[in-house]
Amino acid sequence: MTLDPERTARYSRQLVIPAVGVDGQARLLEARVRVTGASAASVPGILYLALAGVGTLWIDDPEMVGPADSGHWLYPQESVGQPRAEVVAEALQARSRFIRVEPWRSEAMPTATLVLAPSTVQAVAAAETARRARLPHVVAEADGEGGTVVTVPLGAPCFACARSTGRTARPPTAGSAALSALAAEELVLLLAAPGAAQGRRIDLTRGVPSVRATARLAGCSCGEGAGAVSPAV
Amino acid sequence: MTAISERSALVIGTGGLGGPALLTLAAAGVGRLVLMDADVVETSNLNRQPFFREADMGARKSAVAAERLRALRPDLQIEERDERFDAANAAGLVRGVDVVVDGSDNFATKFLANDAAVAAGKPLVHGGVLRTTAQIMTVVPGPAGCLRCLFEGPPPAEAMPANAEAGVLGALAGFAGALMAAEAVRLLSGERGAYVGRLLSFEARTARARLVMVRRREACPACAARPSAKAEAT
Repeated sequence: MTLDPERTARYSRQLVIPAVGVDGQARLLEARVRVTGASAASVPGILYLALAGVGTLWIDDPEMVGPADSGHWLYPQESVGQPRAEVVAEALQARSRFIRVEPWRSEAMPTATLVLAPSTVQAVAAAETARRARLPHVVAEADGEGGTVVTVPLGAPCFACARSTGRTARPPTAGSAALSALAAEELVLLLAAPGAAQGRRIDLTRGVPSVRATARLAGCSCGEGAGAVSPAV
Repeated sequence: MTAISERSALVIGTGGLGGPALLTLAAAGVGRLVLMDADVVETSNLNRQPFFREADMGARKSAVAAERLRALRPDLQIEERDERFDAANAAGLVRGVDVVVDGSDNFATKFLANDAAVAAGKPLVHGGVLRTTAQIMTVVPGPAGCLRCLFEGPPPAEAMPANAEAGVLGALAGFAGALMAAEAVRLLSGERGAYVGRLLSFEARTARARLVMVRRREACPACAARPSAKAEAT
């Protein structure tokens, strides 16, 4: 694959990384990602997908910008009361003419999903929707000043197999921006080199990440059907 | 304990690390931010530096970053400096804030920031990112080691590839910059830092993290030069 001179200049810093390269960058530009959740804690991850050159981003969040969102990354004070998806789309579209950022619409056909949902219930539902649609996905679940990022390539153990129980939604902290960016980083690597990715879970505890391969829970429906693979633990 | 809205931070650099650090500090409610960068916005910045848009090409980074932060938080006190962090201004800048966050892109500045923070007795959150690896370490002058305790001095210029040659995974820079800011928020809130006396190294492809203990080195010229170094050593 090749990139034109303008795209080569813009993405030059990641073209030279073996984990991305020209082929990976071309895959990023062709990718169509549905992002579920655009709260204050979520916007860093969305922003980094846009900066990385993910070709199409659909922002799936029905909420309005609230006072708690104000001052966070993409939400200036005057955006309070406007639809989050539209505010994010407008802010990111201004950053690059090589990508398309729009509010989610039901007829859209994503190739991957990033789940940055504010609650566990929404995260589980969005991850299950992605799994059923056979889309690779990454899910971030905040917990205090850290949380968990679960990467689910096609056929890997699902989010429900990998997640912890007992978490509830919490207000954004300084650590949640890092978690959101980490989730974006995981999806960028997954999209750029899909064959190299394995299911894994990264726990971010007080600023220190730890990783482990995900394992399928006995009896989970994600182990049924074509494409289900056992993780390399 | 002073509220975080009454605390201040100096952020060196407004790019790949400094950008997410500034945005995270502003969102966390820090009261005053001193930001500095002597560069202009270039096309190759746009894969990772969150403040800048295509329309900003050629603009002064410090001015653009300050403008975007003011739009996000009109109550935030911002001091923007369109200059490099150098030997002439380092001591004064560091003395005027509660914590230093180093998002610079070269070793000379990183060691200068270390030396100035240690001399002034101010905590420093050091960070770096290259290719798919990020490093973070916190220097709290006193018993814990500093950057010079670990590395002694900058590597020879020819030993380290520049960003342009080695590349940077953009979202990794965002992750590291946000982690650095979260660490600064801990310190400003009176908590112990997560990286005090230890260097975190994170490799993105494997997602493996390593923590290297950083002990104070007796012969460290930066630590030895501190006025209270002798008292601490006894």
